Amino acid sequence: MEPILKFDNVSKHYPNGVHALKGVSFAIREGEFVSVIGPSGSGKSTLLRAINRLIPISGGTVWLDGQAVSALRGRSLRQLRRKVGMIFQNYNLVYSLSVLQNVLHGRLGYMSGVKGVLGLYSEADKQEGLDLLAELGLADFAYNRASDLSGGQKQRVGIARAIMQGPKLLLCDEPIASLDPSSAKTIMDLLRDMARRRNIACIVNLHQLDVALKYSTRIIGLSKGEVVFDGPPERLDDATIERIYGTSRENLMMGGNCDDPADTADCA
Amino acid sequence: MNVDLTREYPMSQSRAEKRERGKSRIPVKCRQRNRFIPGFLIGVAALSVLSLLYLGIDWGKMFSRVPDIGLVFWDLAHLDFSNMDLILSSLVETISIAVLSLLYSLILGVVFGMFAARNVFRVPLLSVATQSFFTFLRAVPTPVWVLLMLVCLGMGPEAGVAGLCVHTTAFFTKSFAQSFESIPDETIEALEVTGAGRLSIFCNAILPAALSQIVAWAGMRLETNFSECAILGMVGAGGIGYVISNSLQGYDYGTAGVAILLVFLVAYCIERVFVRIKKKFS
Repeated sequence: MEPILKFDNVSKHYPNGVHALKGVSFAIREGEFVSVIGPSGSGKSTLLRAINRLIPISGGTVWLDGQAVSALRGRSLRQLRRKVGMIFQNYNLVYSLSVLQNVLHGRLGYMSGVKGVLGLYSEADKQEGLDLLAELGLADFAYNRASDLSGGQKQRVGIARAIMQGPKLLLCDEPIASLDPSSAKTIMDLLRDMARRRNIACIVNLHQLDVALKYSTRIIGLSKGEVVFDGPPERLDDATIERIYGTSRENLMMGGNCDDPADTADCA
Repeated sequence: MNVDLTREYPMSQSRAEKRERGKSRIPVKCRQRNRFIPGFLIGVAALSVLSLLYLGIDWGKMFSRVPDIGLVFWDLAHLDFSNMDLILSSLVETISIAVLSLLYSLILGVVFGMFAARNVFRVPLLSVATQSFFTFLRAVPTPVWVLLMLVCLGMGPEAGVAGLCVHTTAFFTKSFAQSFESIPDETIEALEVTGAGRLSIFCNAILPAALSQIVAWAGMRLETNFSECAILGMVGAGGIGYVISNSLQGYDYGTAGVAILLVFLVAYCIERVFVRIKKKFS
């Protein structure tokens, strides 16, 4: 099977001298759920934004669905971006608009000039948006202002907007970092299920190691811009974790393990 | 010696030592004072003295005329309603000029504000060019534009509308561009990744998000335009200003009084109405 995304020796330096990515290579196939982990400043966000060229790379090639991203400009770049949905830590909705309008923004890339500018969505698109909101449990909120929603609900709208694009790849930039634990679980479950049902490959930047271990089919560990681990979650041992975060597992905040009574006693 | 020490504030000096030093006052001001402020104040004082000298204001004459101010206002207060039809029709004309120029400038301001905002098309040259062009238009005061338009378009309200539009559009371009730029970059990024074009992003995300600010700017500007319009009538652009200046020159203080009172009332009403509208929008 042809990979949907391929990083070929990709590097990125910022003008301020920071080396965000150093010779990163990997390939992702359809239906994979990949978590990218690593400490802050390890290049996770840069990696994600290099895929849809929000950040231009300085070396190597990013292949998306058989096309080199860095060679594209203007219309062809926009057409490529339609294939990639993105979900953000801060949701990034337009809060003065309705929930449905925000979801329909996912269709803007498919609409011709005047229709897109005036926001004249087709009835089929509107119906699809409403169905999607119902699937995400937001049917009653379709005509509310986006600012009236809670954090978890806003993130679900973000997911709906990304799915609305009909993407082949979903990029999630710390999707649960601003959410309470229960909303975070809902969001992760939804992400996994929706991606699986539609056979969309998913790349998720995560700070929560336990979440990464639980949900992903594959984990990529970044440290100082280099891939130090790439494999299934079972193979992520303590030595590798130490290499990724530069400190041993005991010094990491790990959810999930804390309900282990022995551990709690040790801590106290 | 003592002075030097108080200025240096030696950190090592213990409290006991300080007390020992006795009567020297404990300083309270910041160690590093902004030396620019006293310089600025002295400069302002010098400039005012120079201006007074240059203009050669005759203070004696000015003060002898002060009681006349009271007399004129007393005359103005003797409202004369006999020319009401003329006053009202010209007031409506003034309001129409203000509203029309506001509407045209709103549309032009959104369009040029879009070019001037750095985050819409991401072409720095376009933003800088638009902004500097409108800075130039703004630097020339409205009455000058109206006089220019009077020369081009002839006497009448058209010149008033056109002249006001120039300045108002320039004002809106700057303020709308600022409103557009205050929309978080992440929101724009979120629409960029859907593959939407720049114009679609502007119309579907930036404009709706900035709408409440646009309404606030429009309200403020309608008020300004109305009062400016009253002045413009005096240079011949029609409206109530023409009535005021004509009746003042003809010593018809009663009519001028009514007109001035109405200008005040309308301006006040516009302000009140927009305070209400702004509340609804936020």
